Amino acid sequence: MGEVTPVVKVRHLKKYFMANKRFLKPSDYVKAVDDVTFDIYPGETVGLVGESGCGKSTLARSIIRIYEPSAGKVVYNGTDITHLSNAKLWQYRNKMQMIFQDPYASLDPRYTVGEIIGEPMEIYKMYDKAGREAKVQELLEQVGLKPDHISRYPHEFSGGQRQRIGIARTLALDPDFILCDEPISALDVSIQAQIINLLEKLQDERGLSYLFIAHDLTMVRHISHKIGVMYLGHLVEFGDADEVYSNPLHPYTKALLSAAPIADPNTARSVNRIKLEGEVPSPIHTPEGCPFCTRCPECRPECRITPPVMANQNGHKAACYKYV
Amino acid sequence: MLAKADYFKPIDPALQNAEFIAVPSGGFWRDVWDRFKVNKRAFVGLVVLTVIVLTAMIGPFVSPYAYDGMGTEINAGMSLKHIFGTDALGRDLFTRSLYGVRISLMVGFLTTFINMFLGVIYGGIAGYVGGRTDMLMMRIVDVIYAVPSLLYIILLMLIFGANVGSIMLGMCVSGWIGTSRMMRTQVIALKEREFALAAYTEGASAPRILFRHIFTNALGPLLVEATMAIPQAIFQEAFLSFIGMGISAPQASLGTLAQDARMYMTVYPNQMFCPVSVICIIIFALNFISEGLSEALDPTKRH
Repeated sequence: MGEVTPVVKVRHLKKYFMANKRFLKPSDYVKAVDDVTFDIYPGETVGLVGESGCGKSTLARSIIRIYEPSAGKVVYNGTDITHLSNAKLWQYRNKMQMIFQDPYASLDPRYTVGEIIGEPMEIYKMYDKAGREAKVQELLEQVGLKPDHISRYPHEFSGGQRQRIGIARTLALDPDFILCDEPISALDVSIQAQIINLLEKLQDERGLSYLFIAHDLTMVRHISHKIGVMYLGHLVEFGDADEVYSNPLHPYTKALLSAAPIADPNTARSVNRIKLEGEVPSPIHTPEGCPFCTRCPECRPECRITPPVMANQNGHKAACYKYV
Repeated sequence: MLAKADYFKPIDPALQNAEFIAVPSGGFWRDVWDRFKVNKRAFVGLVVLTVIVLTAMIGPFVSPYAYDGMGTEINAGMSLKHIFGTDALGRDLFTRSLYGVRISLMVGFLTTFINMFLGVIYGGIAGYVGGRTDMLMMRIVDVIYAVPSLLYIILLMLIFGANVGSIMLGMCVSGWIGTSRMMRTQVIALKEREFALAAYTEGASAPRILFRHIFTNALGPLLVEATMAIPQAIFQEAFLSFIGMGISAPQASLGTLAQDARMYMTVYPNQMFCPVSVICIIIFALNFISEGLSEALDPTKRH
């Protein structure tokens, strides 16, 4: 895909939150996202994995400008949108949409499904009232709901159905990039598969790009073309999904993958589980060198001094001194 | 013994696909009204309040007595001629009560409305913008709140004289602060909810998120506060009138009528009983309405 330009380019993106404001002293910062760089190409799904609190959601929210990034930039189709004013950002907003984690919290309980899905179109002044209603019904059918669900309220639906409503809402503006912030983790397993299939179907039909965040490693492998692994705000490994899973480079990725449960007990016994020592360091006082150096089984002296840069091995990148 | 085939019966094919089809939704406020009118208590409350308001508006024009017209029958009991009886100066208590309802309701509703309006906007902006703006706005509020509201009322009376207008103005100077604090906390809690973030990613403007999504979800607690504020304002006006800083005679509010009757309470209990029961009925009606409204505003609450 050398000639195709990425839909979204993320360059050295940082998001720090102020933790403790101190008088006459520098404040403490939580480094939620620290120097993350990657590309998302059209029609591609990038999976983002990592343990809780590693900054996946913050990264997604910084890309879509719910949070203002502290440094770095986000480029959408050649336009740097990091510092655009809200008024200018408006013309790109409709192209980037987000599916939220909790389908119970992401739909305003006071409005009907028709009003919820129709709202983005109302904001962007698309169609007249009747046209919007027709479009909402079309979207409802596309996501596997019935057109006459339009006048019901969100609480009348199950979790899976609510997530479908959330997906229909993101599709209303006809975006080409959708951030999926753990869209399936609040759903039970049978429903998860339905939602994943729906997302894949929509990708085929509309050529959507996804940034897909999840905890479930097998699900991420299934849906993603590329995978990014995050640890303590850093992107430690990035590459083709199968490459990352079959040949993990970074020691953290190896440990993470070995922790994934395997359905077959015989295979599970033969797999050598890498057990990490200690805890994830506080995101306020991060290690000086490699973020993983405090727990890494393969840590070298240089790891503790300066952080490693991303080493590229035929498009499979890892931030580790082993590959520099 | 039952045969296995009888355990389950195949469903009637006509029912199999009988999908419930919802009635077309007529917008948010239409739905609120539909939910409100099925709540019996709330509906009765609304009817009672409407009757009281209409009587207070029309009654004085129909009544043969003036509110300050004295007569020869003093301290009369309840009769067809004088429904609530007369007071020590021979004035018809029913007519005076009608005027009292006018003043009390005007004070109650108008001050509450103004306080809600100011408080929602001020607290909404402070909570939504956050940061330094929020800090500054809330400190201003603290300063206003530090002065007792009685002092504002006294000062305003020096300028505008003792009348309903200066009482209401005085109650409004610091009355909106409670609402603004409450709205601020609601906004801070709700703006981080995912539906507000979703509206933001859809390109919704700040006022749209604030009023369409956050305000509608904060309406329940705000309405409860408002319906408690109305009787409070009615009582405060009554109290001020009693200590001689409100409505002056011969005008009457429900509060002053009760205060005037205090002296004759054991001899002529009807003079106390009638205006007080009017206050009670109004407040009951308001509470039922507020309960019905807060349920009607929340589609997740169904009977």
